[in-house]
Amino acid sequence: MKSIIEVKNFTKKYGSFIAVNDISFSVEEGTIFAFLGPNGAGKSTTINTLCTIFEKTSGTLLINGKDVTTQKNEVRSTIGVVFQDSTLDSKMTIDENLKMHCVFYNIPKKEVEERIQFVLNLVDLLDERKRSVATLSGGMKRRVEIARGLIHYPKVLFLDEPTTGLDPQTRAHIWEYILKLQKERNITIFLTTHYMEEAEICNKIAIIDDGIIVAHDTPYALKKEFTKDNAYITTKNEFELEQLLAQYELKYIKKEGYYKVEAEKIDCLLQVLSLHKENISNIEIKKGTFNDVFLEITGKKIREEA
Amino acid sequence: MNTVFALWKRGLKAFIRNRTGLIFSLIFPFFFVYVFGAIFKNDFIQNPIAYMLSGVIIATVFESSLNLASSTVDDMVSGFMKEVLVSPAKRIAVAVGQLLSAATVSTLQGILILFIGLFIGIKFTSWTTPLYILCSMISVGLVFSGVGLFLATKVRSGQTFQIVKTAITMPLTFISGAYIPLELLPDSLRYFAYINPMTYATAFFRMIVLEKTNLSTAELVREGLAIDINGFIVTPVMSFVIIIAIGLIFLILSTNSFVKTDFSRVNRSSNDASALWG
Repeated sequence: MKSIIEVKNFTKKYGSFIAVNDISFSVEEGTIFAFLGPNGAGKSTTINTLCTIFEKTSGTLLINGKDVTTQKNEVRSTIGVVFQDSTLDSKMTIDENLKMHCVFYNIPKKEVEERIQFVLNLVDLLDERKRSVATLSGGMKRRVEIARGLIHYPKVLFLDEPTTGLDPQTRAHIWEYILKLQKERNITIFLTTHYMEEAEICNKIAIIDDGIIVAHDTPYALKKEFTKDNAYITTKNEFELEQLLAQYELKYIKKEGYYKVEAEKIDCLLQVLSLHKENISNIEIKKGTFNDVFLEITGKKIREEA
Repeated sequence: MNTVFALWKRGLKAFIRNRTGLIFSLIFPFFFVYVFGAIFKNDFIQNPIAYMLSGVIIATVFESSLNLASSTVDDMVSGFMKEVLVSPAKRIAVAVGQLLSAATVSTLQGILILFIGLFIGIKFTSWTTPLYILCSMISVGLVFSGVGLFLATKVRSGQTFQIVKTAITMPLTFISGAYIPLELLPDSLRYFAYINPMTYATAFFRMIVLEKTNLSTAELVREGLAIDINGFIVTPVMSFVIIIAIGLIFLILSTNSFVKTDFSRVNRSSNDASALWG
């Protein structure tokens, strides 16, 4: 598949501080790409440089084959951006916001109405179009911004934490729209998020830490590589269980009231369980989560930004 | 061109929608006319109400156009400028749109006060006077919109900006002759008035409103319409030239600075570092 975003040896320095250190990655057209990393890892720097706001220090960044430094206007008309903080004009109505956007992006006058209806319909806000932005809820504002980001039919949509601060129901809706977009319009979506379960929906994930990309793969592959399934066993006979675990060379950690046993060697584990079955009072197998992947790779817990 | 017009329309809409602001912008000038008109009764001035009103009108135009600084900073803080920034819209068109809308709004405010003023003391004997008034309001509006926009591009924090703005606007309006006749000011403040562009805008505008275009220089000085700097007389026409010159400088400076400004710098988050690195 054709890659729509290409980043090669991108470095950004602020004085002597290196925010992004020689990173390279590419995003294929029509996919959802998640960019993860703890605060201060270089996420926003990368996004802002791709959106033509920041100037790079060195490297090449291409969107749809256009250079973000030398062909700013071409790049700007191919991308839609939804920032973390609202960038709507709160004094104006939804309609006026969208119309203003159409002017900025040089949309032919006769198409404006049709496009506004299309994007508002997509985010279920068609009936609210005359409402002032100041009266909208946080979730509605985000939907308006997504609609606005789409009205000039961009090839790539950047979403900087599109669901942060929204309630679970709204988050689910936003994701519905995102997936619909990807399927129906073949738009490439580049997003950052703090919610690991959201990252799992994406086609590819890159994790950035201290300015370098530490992992770049599909969620499935990352999970396979960096997480382990564990069995949580509660027993009546701790001595016997410990002996059996040692005998079958299963790694375990003794916790308060239960044993956390690595479930990688599933046959050995089953042996232990069958030999020990009379004494087991409770057993639970837990799949590794994406949070574990993140922790494993960066050594930091991802946390919400203020 | 579309961008210029769209932003111009946006500015007008915001002005019309802000009812409270509109009402207060009309109440304040008349409050000033009443208070200062009563305090500074001057024997030389034939028509004190018209004298005060002309000063108040031009001060309103001045303050309102300088307000472009505030609204531009608001646009940066609210994120609207960021939206402009990632769009292919030409920045120069955005700057021009903002300047024109601010100049229009301030002229409209001036016209509203002038209109009410017609009922309480301002009289025109020539039909050209309103035209001249309109032209000078538009030019003063444009000049100080330029100053406002220039200030806005230099802002680093939305909160300190409000303080700086008041600190600049207050002395410029009060020590310009608009409210308080210059001859009543102490010497030190009068020297400040000489370097204050508003002093010249006021003198020129007042001459037009009071229809004193054909007075001799000595008479102009006596009526406070020409400025006497230790014997050097700045006539109203010279004042106008000074204003236009300052205006051109600031219009160029502000558009230039606007095109180069990094709007993502002014962020609503208190922690600028996190806005930059996050």
